[in-house]
Amino acid sequence: MKIDLDVEVLADNNTAASYNRDLFEKNKTLVINLMSSPGAGKTTLLEKTVARLGKEYRIGVIEGDLATEKDADRIRAFGAQAVQINTNGGCHLDARMVAKVLPEFDFDDIDLLFIENVGNLVCPSGYDLGQNHKVAILSVPEGNDKIPKYPVMFRRTEMVVLNKIDLLPYLDFDVKMAMEDLLGINPQSRLIQVSSRTGEGLDEWLSWIKQAYKQNVER
Amino acid sequence: MHEMALMGDILQLIEKDARSRNMEKIEKVELIVGDLSNALPDALEMAFTIFRARGLALLSEQSELVIKKEAARAKCTVCGFEYNPDARLSICPKCSLPSGILTAGETFKVQSYEGS
Ligand SMILES: Nc1nc2c(ncn2[C@@H]2O[C@H](COP(=O)(O)OP(=O)(O)OP(=O)(O)O)[C@@H](O)[C@H]2O)c(=O)[nH]1
Ligand SMILES: [Mg+2]
Ligand SMILES: [Zn+2]
Repeated sequence: MKIDLDVEVLADNNTAASYNRDLFEKNKTLVINLMSSPGAGKTTLLEKTVARLGKEYRIGVIEGDLATEKDADRIRAFGAQAVQINTNGGCHLDARMVAKVLPEFDFDDIDLLFIENVGNLVCPSGYDLGQNHKVAILSVPEGNDKIPKYPVMFRRTEMVVLNKIDLLPYLDFDVKMAMEDLLGINPQSRLIQVSSRTGEGLDEWLSWIKQAYKQNVER
Repeated sequence: MHEMALMGDILQLIEKDARSRNMEKIEKVELIVGDLSNALPDALEMAFTIFRARGLALLSEQSELVIKKEAARAKCTVCGFEYNPDARLSICPKCSLPSGILTAGETFKVQSYEGS
C-alpha cells in the first residue's frame, strides 16, 4: 500500500520551535540565534555585547558547543546568565535541545536571549529554534568565498556581522565584493562591519539590537 | 550535513505512521530533496543503506529509497522572467535587478512510502 505522507523532514523541529517562540513571545524576550564557522568570533562578540548592554538589559545566553563548558564560562565572567548545551558531537542546535534548557532561565528576568549555535556554516541553517532573528557572523580571515559557498546560511539569515575588520589591512578580504555577493543571494540581508577586538563598529550592532528589542516589545 | 541523523528522523516518522496502520514492512521510501536544502542525496543513500543493513525501522533487504531531486528555479518579481539561478541567485539575468525569488529548490520532504 502506498501512503502519501507529504511531510517536511524537519516537521518535529518546527513544532518544538513554535513552542519556544510562544514562550519568548509571552515574555517579550528578544531572541537572537548567532551562527558562524568555528572561530569567527561569536563568543567574543557576545562578551562585548554583554559588557556594553548588561546594565541596561537583563541578558541570558545559551551556548551550543560540541563538548565543553568553555564558552559559557567566558560569558559568565561578564556577568550574564549562561547555560551550556553540549551536543555531544552534534553539528547544530535543534529546537528540542533549546526547549530542554529554557526552564533554567527565569524569563520574567530576561530581556535579551542570545543563542550561540555550534560553529558550522551548513547544519545550523536548517533548524528554526524559535528565535526572532537569525544572524550570521563572518570573519575577515575566512575569505570572500564563504558567502557564495554557503548560500543557504546567508539566505536564511537577515544580517551578516563581518567581524575582525581590524585585520583588513593585512588580508585580501574585499568588503565591497562581499556586499555584492550578499545582495545577489539575499537582497533583504545587510552587512555590518565590526571588530570585537578594537570595538570598532560595535555601536551599529548594539543599536540594531536595541531597535529590535524595542520593536519586539511594542509589537 | 548530518545525513545519518536526518535519515533516522525520516525513518522514525515513517515507521510511526506504518505501525499505526498495522504494517510490518516498509518497501519503498520517496523523498524530495532540493538543491538548496543543504541535504546531500548521496549521503542520504548511504545512511539508508546502513539502516537497511541493520534491519531497522521495518526495513529489509528489498527496501528501496527513491530520491527525487528538485532543481533550483527562480522568478523575477519585476519582469516576470523565470530562470535557473546561479550563485547570485536573486539577480535576474534579464533585467539585472536583485528581484528574483526562489520558486523551487528548498524542499526537503518525505513524499510517500510503500508498506505492507
Ligand atoms: N583580530 C581579531 N580577533 C578576534 C576578533 N574577534 C574574535 N577574535 C579572536 O578569534 C578567536 C576565536 O574567537 P571566538 O569568539 O572564540 O570564536 P567563536 O566563533 O565563538 O568560536 P567557536 O565557539 O569555537 O565556534 C579568538 O582568539 C578571538 O580572540 C576580532 O574582531 N579581531
Ligand atoms: Mg564560541
Ligand atoms: Zn527581471
